[in-house]
Amino acid sequence: MKFSVTKEKLLEGLQQVQNVVSTRTTLPILSNVLLQANGNEVHLTTTDLDVGVRGSFEAQVEKAGATTLPARRLFNIVRELPSSEIQIDVDGKNAASIRSGQSFFKILGLPEEEFPPLPKFENAKVVTIRQKDLRDGLRKTSYAISTDETRYVLNGVLFSFKENKLTLVATDGRRLAMVDIELEFPRSHEADIIVPTKAVTELQRLLADDGEVKVSVGSGQIAFDLNKTLLVSKLIEGNYPNYRQVIPSEAKERVTLERETFLNSLRRVSLLASEKSNSIKLNFSKNNIDITANTPEVGEAKESLPVVYKGRDFSIAFNPEFLMAPLRNLAEDEVFLDLIDEMSPGVLKIQTPFLYVLMPMRISA
Amino acid sequence: MDEKCAQLWQKLSVALKPQVSADTFKRWFSAVELVKATGDSLTFRVPNNIYQFWIESNHMAALQAAIVAALGGPREVKFSSPSGTSSEAGVDEAVIKELPVEQLRDNRTNGTVAGLNPRNTFETFVVGPNNEIAHAASLAVAQSPARTYNPLFIYGGVGLGKTHLMQAIGHYVWAKKKSTKVMYLSSELFINEFIDAIQHNNLVKFRKRYRQAELLLIDDIQFLGGKERSQEEFFHTFNTLFDGHKQIVLSSDRPASEITNLEHRLVSRFEWGLTAELQPPAIETRLAILRKKALALQIKLQDQVLEFLASRIRTNVRRLEGALMRVASFASLSGKELTQEIIEHLLKDILQEEARNSITIEQIQRRVAEHFDVRLADMTSKRRPANIAFPRQVAMYLARELTKASLNEIGEAFGGRDHGTVLHACKLVKKRMHEQDSVRQTISFIDSSLQR
Repeated sequence: MKFSVTKEKLLEGLQQVQNVVSTRTTLPILSNVLLQANGNEVHLTTTDLDVGVRGSFEAQVEKAGATTLPARRLFNIVRELPSSEIQIDVDGKNAASIRSGQSFFKILGLPEEEFPPLPKFENAKVVTIRQKDLRDGLRKTSYAISTDETRYVLNGVLFSFKENKLTLVATDGRRLAMVDIELEFPRSHEADIIVPTKAVTELQRLLADDGEVKVSVGSGQIAFDLNKTLLVSKLIEGNYPNYRQVIPSEAKERVTLERETFLNSLRRVSLLASEKSNSIKLNFSKNNIDITANTPEVGEAKESLPVVYKGRDFSIAFNPEFLMAPLRNLAEDEVFLDLIDEMSPGVLKIQTPFLYVLMPMRISA
Repeated sequence: MDEKCAQLWQKLSVALKPQVSADTFKRWFSAVELVKATGDSLTFRVPNNIYQFWIESNHMAALQAAIVAALGGPREVKFSSPSGTSSEAGVDEAVIKELPVEQLRDNRTNGTVAGLNPRNTFETFVVGPNNEIAHAASLAVAQSPARTYNPLFIYGGVGLGKTHLMQAIGHYVWAKKKSTKVMYLSSELFINEFIDAIQHNNLVKFRKRYRQAELLLIDDIQFLGGKERSQEEFFHTFNTLFDGHKQIVLSSDRPASEITNLEHRLVSRFEWGLTAELQPPAIETRLAILRKKALALQIKLQDQVLEFLASRIRTNVRRLEGALMRVASFASLSGKELTQEIIEHLLKDILQEEARNSITIEQIQRRVAEHFDVRLADMTSKRRPANIAFPRQVAMYLARELTKASLNEIGEAFGGRDHGTVLHACKLVKKRMHEQDSVRQTISFIDSSLQR
């Protein structure tokens, strides 16, 4: 295989697929990137057996062929190459000669036959979504994914395709984030699937502001085709818990908040939240919230926030990070907080179909 | 739910209501039923798994407080829900492509715990007097992890079933509850991953991974010997799991106290629970193993052949099974009839190895010392009192009878004694055997236990 390419294009191509390579692999071939050259482009593929990414870049291919090369090392070399023109020549023994300007590198690779192929999707159900919508939806939910490996069903985002709507849900038992995306698809494509965290993270990196992504669901696998890039992932097997049960049916009090102001106040006050009892208290009174935190032996913090609130006086405590995470990932100016009492979950809402249920913390006397 | 449970649930509800908000009680507990109550645990039936999940994440403290208030003491809380709930999914659960690669240590792959050989289960394990204690202990541990013997320390020589038993526990526990986090690995892998984690600054992830196990099975723990830092790490992992009432099972080729350069605090922890030895099987058990294996692999061999194999291959089961395979494949490939000569020729290397392995003087000393309740050191010491000298002489006699060692060699093995001493010992023991029945019986017992 022999081709020439510009440093920028090669670097960009490698950057797209790099993250999937896991640092601790059981098989050496998994730390390699598969390069396939033909026509006027070169395809790059990496995988960790759960998630795989395939991208491409334009190149002048003198001789078609394929090989696999150590991904990290190749990336580091290319990044440091002096000139913009790079020639790569791979011989029959999978040794790659990289020439650029006065620099010469040779690295040994492994044969392409050993590289695990990405799964095929025959008879898969395909749904098309606007990239912006999906990226937005994932951004609003992925921070709530559980990291507890014992509850593996929750180590991902639920994609529920139902009645012309895609609902994304993520929860870790203490909070739940849910977003609805309007979408059209035939009844036969209705499904509940769970996409693992790593794939969600990668996907968020690859999704752009425009264009569409074709989502194909096969048996136990999902593929996201973003035209130039393809992301494939295993799905998490299991039944996602019935999340609707978690959502409180009605609120007793509702308060309207300016998102950014609220977030900034929380950020400041939480500096004094202790590591042990990591909580901040919201004290509601007429048109005012006092946000407080205190750590014994260290100190306390308090901030008053004027708001629109006409309900009764009461207090509720939350984990500051759990309360700030959705606020950071929303773009809206205004958010609504629905509350019942200090022992019941609070629900954060915005104008569009989104909600975030958060369990309160115990207020210690 | 039945009367008794209904009443109990009433009592619990009354104690629970003040602990949670009215909305919470209505939402999460009104649909709950108490279906089973024992002295240790309460089982609640819930409509679907979100209930278990949400209650466990948020309301356990309140629930336990109510249980203590209503029943006087805490109970283990279990949940059951009708299986196959919700999920209007149309997604197949089968993985689309079977990649020919090593499974990563992860519960969820391909319908079994990764790292466990599917053939190593309790069903395929042949029980005999040589391993019935270890087997019973393993079964008890599998049925109630962390509530019977913790840790369980299994030791024994090569090819006697340590890995088989450990993996059987793993399979059993996982089959009962697939979400159980079962980790099976050799201590060598633990050490390597630990070193790797240090090098790549991934200690947090490493620790999390192992300290979240619900059942930790570590094979060949003797490799920790001499590796200080790894031992320390394992010490902390052990403590975390043990304190969290998680089951730990270890296997080794020797008792914990005999592992060289193993920190004393680890030795004492390993001995904390139950230590079970796996001994080489007696001839009847060997025969049973061969028969079971032959049946499982649908091999038809004459009983004589199996008996021959069982009698000649004594030291380890792996070798026994290997010999079976060789003989069976030869028989099926060549179509020839199997005579003793042919088998002897076929298994020439194994049989030679067996002959060499047959009894060492040290083994004799050990067994005799054990039997007469003296120390191994007494065998080589200069002490003369009859209660030490006589066992020594018995050991010398047996060494003469059962090994090919010369008088000189035997003398050397017994603390540099003269060959004449050994000769005298043999004569004396023979005389005693002739005179006293009890002595003869004792010696014949030790003899047969060595010969097996």
